[in-house]
Amino acid sequence: MWTLSSRAGLPLGYPSGVALISLRSLTKQYPGGVTALDGLTVDIERGIVGLVGSNGAGKSTLLKILLGLIDATSGEATVFDMDVRTRGTDIRQFVGYLPEHDCLPPDASATDFVSHLALMSGLPRTAARERTAEVLRHVGLYEERYRAMGGYSTGMKQRVKLAQALVHDPRLLLLDEPTNGLDPAGRDEMLELIHRTGTEFGIATIVASHLLGEIERVCDFLVAIEGGRLLRAAPLGSFTEQTGTLAVEVEEGSAALAARLTAQGLEAIADGRAVLIALTDERPYDIVRDTIVDLGLALVRIEQRRHKLEDLFRDMPIPTGTAAAGVVSTGAGAASTGTGAAAAPVGEEGPQ
Amino acid sequence: MTAPITAGTPTGSIYDIGYRGYEGPRLGRAHAIRSLFGHSLRTAYGIGRGGRAKIAPFVLGALAILPAVAIVGVLTLAMRFGAGERIAEQSPIRYDTYFSTISTIVVLFCAAQAPELFGRDQRHGILSLYFARALRRSDYALARIGGFVAALLLMELVPQLVLFLGRSLLSPDILGAVRNDLPSIPPILIQGILSAGLLGGLAMTISAFTPRRAYATAGIIALFVIPGIVAGVIAGLGSSDIGNWLFLTSPSSVLDGTNAALFGAQLSSEFFFINLPDIAYFATAIAGIVGSVAITIRRFNRFTA
Repeated sequence: MWTLSSRAGLPLGYPSGVALISLRSLTKQYPGGVTALDGLTVDIERGIVGLVGSNGAGKSTLLKILLGLIDATSGEATVFDMDVRTRGTDIRQFVGYLPEHDCLPPDASATDFVSHLALMSGLPRTAARERTAEVLRHVGLYEERYRAMGGYSTGMKQRVKLAQALVHDPRLLLLDEPTNGLDPAGRDEMLELIHRTGTEFGIATIVASHLLGEIERVCDFLVAIEGGRLLRAAPLGSFTEQTGTLAVEVEEGSAALAARLTAQGLEAIADGRAVLIALTDERPYDIVRDTIVDLGLALVRIEQRRHKLEDLFRDMPIPTGTAAAGVVSTGAGAASTGTGAAAAPVGEEGPQ
Repeated sequence: MTAPITAGTPTGSIYDIGYRGYEGPRLGRAHAIRSLFGHSLRTAYGIGRGGRAKIAPFVLGALAILPAVAIVGVLTLAMRFGAGERIAEQSPIRYDTYFSTISTIVVLFCAAQAPELFGRDQRHGILSLYFARALRRSDYALARIGGFVAALLLMELVPQLVLFLGRSLLSPDILGAVRNDLPSIPPILIQGILSAGLLGGLAMTISAFTPRRAYATAGIIALFVIPGIVAGVIAGLGSSDIGNWLFLTSPSSVLDGTNAALFGAQLSSEFFFINLPDIAYFATAIAGIVGSVAITIRRFNRFTA
């Protein structure tokens, strides 16, 4: 399926050993002093790659630089081993882009719009029409594809946006918040679609999202950025293989519980109503049960958590000392408001 | 309509042939530019859009061709009574007057349709989809302007063609009539290109700067009307020298100037006081075309998609 002969005219011949996407000290400063990307260096290989970070972390900026929609302030970026600054049109012929914002004219039908954009990607007219029909069916739009898009639901619009990104059979898909505005069922369907497109059809995909729980369902590699810096780039497995966490939620008295558990030699911290306990073996379960009984606390639930991706945005998820406890105990909100300060220590790990 | 499916009786199977790759040719940038040019030309006339989008361009197009059709009709009748020759020469609707006859219609067409192209793409955020494809930003701007100018060119030259065919075919001596009219063809083409280029270029430049249709329409009408009035007032106040040169800021006056120079005619009486060298009109028209294209390209190069 991925052979040289059948993929003639591709940017394929890029040398083996060169990453699909390679960023070197990529920096973007917007006028007014906002730094969106700050010396980002990472190699991204084929596969479904999750690009995670909170709002404003620089995800959209990175995708736009890869497309040549905006220029980097400094540093280098290559896609298919081609420089984004000089080979933009060559790259974009093989890249599909789903933007975060609305991009569909309400008075056009999905069929007309997608086939027009297929022409803009260089497909001949007949091929554009055929591919449009196929790709709209692939994303699950049937009779409604002949209607004006102004009457579409958000879910249908997101599907059209995915269709236009796929219509020219790209080698690389850049999806910016593809589940934006979708209800839970719509999210599941969109993620399933992305997963199929990436795995069955072998299209390298980058999914930018701030919803970490979603990303981990479809991706096999993760790139986490925060404040324009790289937090971590690693296979999804290595994020979740780490030691688990036991979350114990009590009605009140979580601080007392944490203190008691710590006194018994466990690594425990209070996090709102919950107490997070490092789980290295079976031992904590009994201790937790006994401690709760001793303290007479009202137990809400005990839950074994995998290391959630949220932990990326914390300073050391399970602290070994008391210094970090202060940071985490500010509650669940800390997860989403993690800033450059929290990012710095992890970021020094660099690309892997 | 699909046949109703009754439960329990499988009437067919759905084959999920899934997503297929595309192995065919990718024609790249040049093809994308050509396609966008064609799309712009069609969209300028509302083709490929809903019925309502066609009303304004088609009505204006019909109005533009109406004088030519009317005069050909009159000629046909006159021929019956043997007065065709005289009428053909004395008709107020000739090759050299046609451009100014329909200039208002062309301006209205610009004001109505130019925002349809650039404004719509900006309003609905479509630009980032274009710029994420095999096009450069300058390609996008040029293809859109080119398509619109071609639409104007059609609007200006088709009536001239009707006029030409009518005059030739109705004449008793067809070959002689064609030979007689041949010298008019180069000035018609040059004037058509200058007119479509200048009016179309300026209209597209203005609509490139706002997603709002109403603003663009108002801006285009203002640009085409106000400078002429200002120059007229100043010339009327007595400073005819400044007034004279100020007419170069009015696109329609510039085009009247090139028209008169090309057809070797006098400027019409209302402009009797304009007395500028021919080269000034041509230089201004060309500068206007090049300038508007350059400004539009610059606009889209700086656009943050």
